[in-house]
Amino acid sequence: MKAPHLSTALATVFALTLLPIRELKAKAVLNLFCWSEYVPQAVINGFTEETGIKINQENYASNEEMLSKLLAGGTRYDLIQPSEYTIEALIKAGKLEPLNLDNIPNIKNLDPKFTKLAHDPTGKFCVTWMAGTVGIVVNTEKIKESITGYKDVFSGKYRRRIVVLNDAREIVSWALNTLGLPINEVTPQALGRAKPLIAEWLPQVKVYDSDSPKTALLNGDVDLGIVWSGEAAILWKRNKKFTYVLPAEGAHQFIDSLAIPQGAPNKVNAEKFINYILKPEVSVKISDAFPYTNPNAEAVRLLKPEQRDNPASYPPGEPKLELFKDIGKAAREVDKLVTDLKARGGR
Amino acid sequence: MGWLLIVPMLLWLAAFVVLPTLILAIYSFCERDELGQVVYHFSSENYRRIFIDEEGKFGTTYVTVFARSIFYAGLTTMICLVAGYPVAWFIGRAPENRRHLLLTLVMIPFWTSFLIRTYAWITILSTNGLLNGFLQYTRIISEPFEMLYTPGAVVLGLVYSYLPFLILPVYGSVEKLDNALVEAAFDLGAGPVRAFQHVILPLTQPGIVAGILLVFIPAVGMFAITQLMGGGTDPTIGEVIQNQFMSARDWPFGAALGMTLVILFASVFWLASRRRSNFRV
Repeated sequence: MKAPHLSTALATVFALTLLPIRELKAKAVLNLFCWSEYVPQAVINGFTEETGIKINQENYASNEEMLSKLLAGGTRYDLIQPSEYTIEALIKAGKLEPLNLDNIPNIKNLDPKFTKLAHDPTGKFCVTWMAGTVGIVVNTEKIKESITGYKDVFSGKYRRRIVVLNDAREIVSWALNTLGLPINEVTPQALGRAKPLIAEWLPQVKVYDSDSPKTALLNGDVDLGIVWSGEAAILWKRNKKFTYVLPAEGAHQFIDSLAIPQGAPNKVNAEKFINYILKPEVSVKISDAFPYTNPNAEAVRLLKPEQRDNPASYPPGEPKLELFKDIGKAAREVDKLVTDLKARGGR
Repeated sequence: MGWLLIVPMLLWLAAFVVLPTLILAIYSFCERDELGQVVYHFSSENYRRIFIDEEGKFGTTYVTVFARSIFYAGLTTMICLVAGYPVAWFIGRAPENRRHLLLTLVMIPFWTSFLIRTYAWITILSTNGLLNGFLQYTRIISEPFEMLYTPGAVVLGLVYSYLPFLILPVYGSVEKLDNALVEAAFDLGAGPVRAFQHVILPLTQPGIVAGILLVFIPAVGMFAITQLMGGGTDPTIGEVIQNQFMSARDWPFGAALGMTLVILFASVFWLASRRRSNFRV
């Protein structure tokens, strides 16, 4: 084999570098900054087909990651997808644009249970995307004992057989629930009591994963998980051996919403997207791919019975659920506590 | 006027090495607010947090993280050296028309993103994965054994990713090696071991040193492979720093950890170069 001529190689590198510049030509775009495993490709394609607006998608794995990228500036996002406590903080800091609801007539399809919630009482700043819970997935083929709450997961019997979300606020809230403390009053005293419990829990964890915690369960690397309900619903759909349990001590219900960050360059396109996903037939596509609790009443009517019967998506009974509130400065202490304990390692 | 030619490089270094390091140094003495933005309240609190624990004693938490990362990177470098040197030698001594083909083979993995290659390893190593499935199917083992999310998996992932970075510079040295010198060693009665020790090794040393640096330094800071194949328990320094900038939103603390790493490297370099200049005859 002969080495390619230097000039040929340079010309190729040059041509490849210049290729993306063609993409930069002005076109209607929407810069979507959303959770990984949350916005199905079918919805993205459908929106571009209908409106001609091209979507640039970027993903994050936690509200905190989203905040740090959003506030660092440099990148202009048009639409973000934060959870309830993050919306509250962003509204407080004046970082969200009020929505022009005239551009979003389909908001009428939402179940009133999911509009004007505590984090956005006027309903001016966000539109609910999906709701869900954080609970326990048990591989019942491998674990025969009954698992009802965090205490059972971290009893010490299942060392290194557990996957948990890589999310400091979540982990601390599990400990507070276990201690019978309110999850939204994160005082130094409360954290002081939670710390030894978390220090005892973390070495039992085998995998931290917020993106796709179902992978470790499906691959058989772990038999227990504390994960998003949508992930649990997908597991249940694949194999009924994966059951979902809402922890007896209490669980976090999250409400993820679409919101427009301040200074978004394509605000109208963002509103078009919100209106688009509120169409019942589009919303059903989201539920098909990511079976969280759909807040769109018209869409829920169109779901198949087995989708509505999925206990992870639509938990039966009256479980003890609580939303997160913005905890302000205490967020720093929460991040610090979990960082320090995780750095200690397990083995 | 020759110095004008290096001006672009100097500007590049100033803009993308010196300036970011300065920003990092300043951030490392700052604080964060509740949304995670950097506040310019200067203190040495972040460095204190690295080295002092809550009781005011010397804290081992982050020192252990540093030590763990250096251990992983050191082991990776050693394995790469032992496995890569013979390969580089073989390619460098191959007939000239075959060398390019062999080098291309070494580089082919780079055509795929290393993240995708890491995910492929996850598919291979997981409990219900390809390797366990194959070993069970062929009755070599009866129960799947734990491979993924272990230190072994982390080192495997690192060696796999960085091996070419050792092979290429060593190949460069081997190719330039004058065969007459090796033959002279043999003619003067040296056995293979002595010829290797006294002729080949010193002559390929520049390639070895470059290869070690190219593997060791990025391996210490790597976070993606260690997180994906190690599961995030027992984090490396790269993982902790990445977490500070992302999910923990504590840029100042991340910057302090980063600066500590920079200072650590700088002092090792300084010591090494001083020793060399002292002992060189």
